[in-house]
Amino acid sequence: MEMNYSTIEGTSKGYKILIVFLGVMVGVFITSFLVAYLKGQQVWGVSNIIPWGQLITFYIYFIGLSAGAIIISSLSYVFRRETYEAIGRLAVFMGILLMIGAMVFVMVDLGRPEKAWRLFMYFYLNNMSSLFAINSIFYTGYITLMLIYLWLIFEGKKRLAAIIGTIDVLWAIAVHMGTGAIFGLIGNREIFFSPIKPFEFLMAALTSGTSLIILISMVTFKLTRRMIQEELIFSLGRFLTTIIVVLLITVFVDKLTHLYFPNREATLYLFTGDYWWVFWIFQIGMGIGFPLFLLTYPKTKKSSRGVLLAALSVVIGVFGERAALVIPGTAHPQPFFPGTIEGPWGEPGIFPITFWESLLSLSIVSFIVLLFVLGLRYLEILPERKTEDTRALLNLTAKE
Amino acid sequence: MVIDLDKCTGCQACTIACKVENNIPHGSPEEQRLRREIYWHKTIAVSRGKFPHIRTEILPMPCMQCEHPPCVTVCPAKATYRREDGIIMQSYRRCIGCKYCMVACPYGARSFNYKAQETKPYHRQDEPPNQKSWGPWPFPTRTQGVVEKCTFCFHRIDQGIKEGKKIGIEVVPACVEACPSQARTFGDLDDPQSQISRLLASRSSFRLREELATHPKVIYLSR
Amino acid sequence: MKNSKENRSTNKKKNEIGLTRRRFLKLSGVTGAFIWTTHRPIGQLDSPLASPLQKKAQYEEKWVVTSCLNCQGRCGIRVKVVNQKAINVTGNPHSQVSEGKICPRAHIGLQVLYDPERIISPLKRTSSEKGKQIDPQWKPISWDQALEEVSRNLRNLREGLRPHHLLLFSGLNSRSSEDLISRFAEAYGTPNLVTGEGLDWEAERTGNWMADGHFDICAYDLDQTNYILSFGADLLESTPPVSRWLRKWGKFRREKSIRTKVVEIQPRYSLTASKSDEWIPINPGTDGALAMGIAHIIIREELFDHRFINEWTFGFKQYREMVLQNYKPEVVSKMTGIPAETIYRIAREFAQTRPALAIPGKGALAWPGGSSVGYAIRCLNALVGSIDVLGGILYQEQPEYRAIPKVPSDEITKKGLKQSPLDFRGTDRFPASRVVTNQIPQSLIERKPYPIEMAIGFNSNFNMTAPNSRSWEEALKRIPFYVHVAPFISEMAQFADLLLPSTTYLEEWGYDHSSSGAGFAEVRIKQPVIKPIGGSKSIGDIIFLLAERIPGVVAEAFNGIGNCAEEFVRLRTSSFLPWEEFLKKGVWKGPPYQYKKYSTLFHTPSKKFEFVSGNLRALLNKKGRAVREGTEILPHYSRVRWLGDESQFPLILFPYQPLLTFENGSQNYPWAQEIFLPMQGVGWTSPAEVNPETARSLNLREHDRIWIESPFGKIQTYVKISEGVPPNMVCIPFGQGHTSYGKWQKGIGCNPNEVIGVDFDLLSGQSAFFNTRVKIYKA
Repeated sequence: MEMNYSTIEGTSKGYKILIVFLGVMVGVFITSFLVAYLKGQQVWGVSNIIPWGQLITFYIYFIGLSAGAIIISSLSYVFRRETYEAIGRLAVFMGILLMIGAMVFVMVDLGRPEKAWRLFMYFYLNNMSSLFAINSIFYTGYITLMLIYLWLIFEGKKRLAAIIGTIDVLWAIAVHMGTGAIFGLIGNREIFFSPIKPFEFLMAALTSGTSLIILISMVTFKLTRRMIQEELIFSLGRFLTTIIVVLLITVFVDKLTHLYFPNREATLYLFTGDYWWVFWIFQIGMGIGFPLFLLTYPKTKKSSRGVLLAALSVVIGVFGERAALVIPGTAHPQPFFPGTIEGPWGEPGIFPITFWESLLSLSIVSFIVLLFVLGLRYLEILPERKTEDTRALLNLTAKE
Repeated sequence: MVIDLDKCTGCQACTIACKVENNIPHGSPEEQRLRREIYWHKTIAVSRGKFPHIRTEILPMPCMQCEHPPCVTVCPAKATYRREDGIIMQSYRRCIGCKYCMVACPYGARSFNYKAQETKPYHRQDEPPNQKSWGPWPFPTRTQGVVEKCTFCFHRIDQGIKEGKKIGIEVVPACVEACPSQARTFGDLDDPQSQISRLLASRSSFRLREELATHPKVIYLSR
Repeated sequence: MKNSKENRSTNKKKNEIGLTRRRFLKLSGVTGAFIWTTHRPIGQLDSPLASPLQKKAQYEEKWVVTSCLNCQGRCGIRVKVVNQKAINVTGNPHSQVSEGKICPRAHIGLQVLYDPERIISPLKRTSSEKGKQIDPQWKPISWDQALEEVSRNLRNLREGLRPHHLLLFSGLNSRSSEDLISRFAEAYGTPNLVTGEGLDWEAERTGNWMADGHFDICAYDLDQTNYILSFGADLLESTPPVSRWLRKWGKFRREKSIRTKVVEIQPRYSLTASKSDEWIPINPGTDGALAMGIAHIIIREELFDHRFINEWTFGFKQYREMVLQNYKPEVVSKMTGIPAETIYRIAREFAQTRPALAIPGKGALAWPGGSSVGYAIRCLNALVGSIDVLGGILYQEQPEYRAIPKVPSDEITKKGLKQSPLDFRGTDRFPASRVVTNQIPQSLIERKPYPIEMAIGFNSNFNMTAPNSRSWEEALKRIPFYVHVAPFISEMAQFADLLLPSTTYLEEWGYDHSSSGAGFAEVRIKQPVIKPIGGSKSIGDIIFLLAERIPGVVAEAFNGIGNCAEEFVRLRTSSFLPWEEFLKKGVWKGPPYQYKKYSTLFHTPSKKFEFVSGNLRALLNKKGRAVREGTEILPHYSRVRWLGDESQFPLILFPYQPLLTFENGSQNYPWAQEIFLPMQGVGWTSPAEVNPETARSLNLREHDRIWIESPFGKIQTYVKISEGVPPNMVCIPFGQGHTSYGKWQKGIGCNPNEVIGVDFDLLSGQSAFFNTRVKIYKA
């Protein structure tokens, strides 16, 4: 059945307030960026021990979300599953925006953002053994592909879209495994170093991407008074369950390997040190344990509320997973020489949550949300609201 | 560079001479607490044992100038690169401040410049270049937002080569020159007749974190 | 996301991205072309080849030879000055005391010179009250006014026939300044010139004097020695001249055929202990017992140098009897806490490795009874024949400066100089002392033997560096008119009525020779590397200016020796080198050291090395004191007397001086502060190091804030758990706890001197630093 798409009207009060608020946040973004640019990164929580902070955490998180979103979109366009048609465009659009968000995060985190163009001088001025450089090839290709993909979808060219979609999905996998490799190939940081890191990142991307799609589609559809098929949600929920199990296995294997010698100290620090709660409560608890429970327990797995809650938990939990990698990974003091290193060089780093850095992160997120809302307003992303939907919703509300 | 730990007296003249020579800003109590101090050369103390059978080793650590440097591998902008004579250079002009090299360095040799330094105390007229010149120098005005590290005083070596002086004997990095006990030696590892090669042949030596196979060029002679 | 709502052609649907295929191709083409064309030029400009070293158009570079004054070492240095700014410091290769090497503090001299908080004009106090926390409300005045006020007070005091009511403090000053200050004191007629020596090494001097008549600290031939037995000496941190120790350490460890073995005997695991071959923890204050115990073993096993003992010593029989009877190793082992086998082994190693050196350090000497410890350790050297031989104890040659006219004197001067000195030096209280620095507060407070009406302090900061700061503060308050001369407002300057800004050592004319250590004489020049900053004047110049304003013998004393510091220096050093050469070379080295000068070496009644001190016997007899035969004039160990009751104050406070402590009165130097404690890897702080067992028993954890309280006061800092500290001690470094000025030092750390009590080695007047007991508890 041919689905028709429409924009949102953008006339409701809620919409207007949201736009104004997000507009203000964009102003905040520019201000906080300028503060950091002019005063230096001393206003953030980063240090010589923990050089990567909130911004890099968000960066890898968003890339994961983007890759996950694109892979979900492939369910609609590559695999032609009708169930997912309603959220197909939404997924691709989210993929593009999340990727742009990730790029903004990483550009802003640079010490000298005005030299960011240097990341794109492939082969000539770039050191291609660096994963940042390889990734920049991946990222530009990825964005280009996604733009083409979306354009083809808008054009209605289903077959081409499928082909580009396939390439895009594979490319998305490469993108996110590349991002994982940034960490996985660093030999001196034991928490990072693992050949399984790219795969772990991919699994985290799938879980978080799927969950974000579930979350955003349910929220957006509800707020714009569109009906979403429960079958869609449950289908995504089942997919999510599988992926979380795979993620659990990946994480388990990775950590188990690290608990065997050599180099156990860093992993023990992750489990029991200053940041144990990021790992156990967020990554394992909210990212894996709690959602898995919700999605398998009969009562909750059958309700869309349950799936929504699981999705929310995963979204937060996977952010915790990224943080549990970036912060304790560098906070653990490096063992320059066997023995207890005296003074600060032997102590784990501390990453304070600073005002300007948090403000910057939140404002960039708001910026992406603003682009998302504007996209919904001016592009035909969401399926048309059918009168049956409205009536069905009204019936539902009448029943309640 | 060879550092003889038996001759080393733990005085830290090397750390200070490096700061003087390279115009490195000093820190503050706040910066030390937040770990933002810039050290091109640092001295760490490592202890083992319990009272009274305790042993503390003091290790001076410049940049190891590794043979297989992890930092060069991961720098996207070719800001850090290995030059012909083996010194790992740092170009502040190319550095975009992504800090990947800081994460990758196993020896904590790199520092990021977290704030703009007041120009006046650090304005050095004897050291090139001025702002317009291209090249791997951070001063007269130190650039914020880039990563810095020890460069084995390549400026002295280049100047020495130009003037035809013997490297390792007449021209040495500032830390080697400042060491009062003459525990540090600088020279050509490839030359079997150099003092370095002879020192390495005479005693047992070790490098730091050898299991990572970075093949550092700073070698310690054991006590 | 640019989009267009326009209807383009009827083929396109409404609300699409207005991007046609053609447009897309065009856009990509243009972008690609742009990248292609700009890639190369950007790449070329981006070449890693550095452009040739460019220097500014007007570039003036010169190297000035001078000498450092951040500690008693006074090492020769060369300073690089570019466009009138000093930017680098290296050693002077002509200086042989340290073979041209310098310690880290010499480099930090640049921060001493350019300390932004230096005083640049004379300042007068306008607040009426004096106190540690009270703001003096300084008012800048001109040099003329300041000098006039000071000289007026000096004239009045002298005309009132009370020149001895003038007290002069001398901290760390160049030898030329010291000579000028003492000349001034002598001409003026005051016996009260107090230096900081009474805090540092008087026990060593007295101990040596008792043995061989040389009232001087030890000098050692480190180039050739094969065994170093260090009693509480922080060789690599605070034993002057430090730079010499740092250089020679490298030399005797790995630059000679036999690697010198170093054994460090210290209660705590210091940096020197970590670098030594053996660290022997000892109960604090029992070094004398150990020295006697080692002597016992050497004597009993006949390991001593028979020839030297027979030919060149006196009193060996009596010494031998006393040692064999009273200092059996098992007894000594109980006193010191060192296992008897270790004492036997060390004694045998020491005696059988020739040449060997036994070195007394502050940790062994700064106790009541410290001079006897110094004597005992000197005797150990004599036992193994290490006196005036290669690799042994040397006797420092003093440089012979050009003689200057004797200080003129008049009746006032003569009478003044005859008065009993304020610190009771050389009196019955401290018979063998030359200066008893820490007696001053009590004398000032009690106004005994007489009150002081005026004081001038030259670079002194005794309320920071002497035990019991509070008594100093009380005392300083009572000086009616105190003039302080220094480049910055130190803790002592807080109590001044008038501040005269002096130059730092890098801006003054002077001559210097390091404290004893190398044996041969060496004189170094001090010349300004840049013009004095602000309105500061050098101490030498200030004294000349003051002297000319005090007519009579004082002005006369300063006639004929030059009109200013520069001329004075030139005159005095004319006996060494031609002036131009001296300015260029910076160093004059005396003739090479002559060993085994036994026939003329010993300044004792027997003209030999004395195990029974004839010098001391003569001195005590002169004072009318009977000598208790048996122990008093032989080296001996006296049980430690503690300040504070053990039940109330269970821990012993054991402070130490890290290398990066500056002895000029200030620590306002970030380069030193940020790496202050290498063994702990921290800076900007002075923690209290506590043994883990002790911490556990007191329920203290790392970084807890605690009070350290003694019977004399309390200070606050934080805990550092350290395995190198014995369970009954707490260790705090000197050098922090400044309160008067300084962005980089004020309020940082704590000063252990605030809780240390006043005690002396009664023979030499040496202040005791280590016998104060404390208790610690959470803050």
